[in-house]
Amino acid sequence: MLEQLKPIICQYVDVKPEDITLDARFIEDLHFNSYDFMSFLGEIEETFNVTVEEQDVLDLRTVGDAITYLKSLM
Amino acid sequence: MNTVTDIKTLQHLILKSAKCYGDKVFMKEKSGKDDKETTFNELLLNCRKIMTFLNEKSNADNIHAAVIGTTCAAYLTAYFGTVCGGNIIIPLDAQMSCEDVIDHLQRSDSQVFFFDKRYVPMLPAIKASCPMIHTYICLQETDCDDIFTMNNILGSYAPAETLPDIDPSSCAAILYTSGTTGKSKGVMLSHSNLVDNTMCQENESTPEDVLLTVLPIHHVYCFTCDILLSLRYGTTVCVNDSMMHIAQNLKKYQPTIVLLVPMIAETIYKKIQAAAAATPDVPVAAIARVVFGPNLKGIYSGGAYLNPDLANAYVSMGIPIAQGYGMTECSPRISTGVWENNCKGDVGVIVNGCSVKIVDGEIWVKSPSVMMGYYKNPEATAEALTEDGWLKTGDLGFVDERNRVHITGRKKNLIILSNGENVSPEELENKFSGLDWLSEILVYAEEGMICAEIFPNPECQLSREETCKLFREQVDKINKTVSGAKAIRRLRIRDVDFDKTTSKKIKRDQSSQGELCD
Repeated sequence: MLEQLKPIICQYVDVKPEDITLDARFIEDLHFNSYDFMSFLGEIEETFNVTVEEQDVLDLRTVGDAITYLKSLM
Repeated sequence: MNTVTDIKTLQHLILKSAKCYGDKVFMKEKSGKDDKETTFNELLLNCRKIMTFLNEKSNADNIHAAVIGTTCAAYLTAYFGTVCGGNIIIPLDAQMSCEDVIDHLQRSDSQVFFFDKRYVPMLPAIKASCPMIHTYICLQETDCDDIFTMNNILGSYAPAETLPDIDPSSCAAILYTSGTTGKSKGVMLSHSNLVDNTMCQENESTPEDVLLTVLPIHHVYCFTCDILLSLRYGTTVCVNDSMMHIAQNLKKYQPTIVLLVPMIAETIYKKIQAAAAATPDVPVAAIARVVFGPNLKGIYSGGAYLNPDLANAYVSMGIPIAQGYGMTECSPRISTGVWENNCKGDVGVIVNGCSVKIVDGEIWVKSPSVMMGYYKNPEATAEALTEDGWLKTGDLGFVDERNRVHITGRKKNLIILSNGENVSPEELENKFSGLDWLSEILVYAEEGMICAEIFPNPECQLSREETCKLFREQVDKINKTVSGAKAIRRLRIRDVDFDKTTSKKIKRDQSSQGELCD
């Protein structure tokens, strides 16, 4: 799933795909701003046909967190 | 179209909207995979049921009912059901902590509390601290059997047959302003304040228009311009259910009008530019049309400073964007943005019925939209309102020959230099707008010198030296355009972003964390 997320992340922030690791933090390492991040999650919903709950968003700090969360929804 | 003369209270507005637009859809909101639609008639019917319910709960006049949540028909039913019965609504900021919610419930003397189901976990703490609240109503269904819900009321109460006569000058709402310093103040807005601001302009919308509402409903900018204007003109309001879904909802609802804050407008613009770079054969305007949908007439921006360069970039994509100006104390509009081809940095034309004068550089306003005062705070009211009814906005600015307002800064933020010269920090901060490498800036006085402290844009991944160089070049450029006293003499760079208010404005009373730029 990491490989599926990389091209989506690269549409939002200017990072190299190899820098997108499971430990990478969205805000601190990948430099998402708050609206970028919310837009990204909206795209994730469409791509994977899942529903992200807003109250869960604050828990999604790293790419690994997002993958674990996504798997729990699928 | 509803006219000024026959609408004097919010109750009149709701009644008239139902009479004029009846079974037309007023609000569309997502409900599971489908849309839930509420017509103008249904909104009135449900408000009448709330009135019956509140009458049964208390015979007292002027029940204070607080409401917290995001935009939905149930929220508006709670709001209008309260005020149409002559009671007072207190819309609370949905991002407040439990502690702040309790503080505001206490200070507003709330007796009834309408809340979004997300606040159910806070209820034990609220009940323990707010004994004056006798009725709790959840806006949605919950898993808890012991929580009374909006549907319980709508399913079991008959609509009120008679509606009370409401004095237009009576209080309809108390809105707490977040402010960048100090404790929030409760702005009391009367029925006539809100109605005046809704009716002061003509031909702003039509029943054929579709509006996507994105902004927080407790802000009077959203409430007046998205909700009250739509009731007046019969416009259909589509609810953006989440900041995650703005792009999807623009495609889904294809609005003709949308109100945004500059941050959202800027991010969407960046995305359009990125898409344009990836597809050089497609005109940018065509990409913008795909993003915003084919029907968009234009965007209204408010809530913060809109860089004229960004506004003109939108115009060049074929999407006019207009910036207005107002404040909660003025219900909120003082001037309204104009969609045009060349944005010159003004914040629009003064609305009808509003007088503006400049006193010692500060904008003073007098109009039927100006608040009654601050709730239980006569000292603050006396500071803000003159005896003859002028509201001191605290903003510095001027009015040009086209009757347009220009803002140059906030009076309370003025830096008074030792030579007596006044410097508006915002005026200097705005000169840094539109720089890719810069995320946030704060200008303040330090040891008698003007200091600019920045948080660089982390996306640019610049070294400290590179940032310093760009920062100094920009400061040198700016210093050539201002008087010597206003020149920025000290530069600081910080590693973390600035503390902000819930409305995302940088707090000015925070201590410096930036290191000097050598």
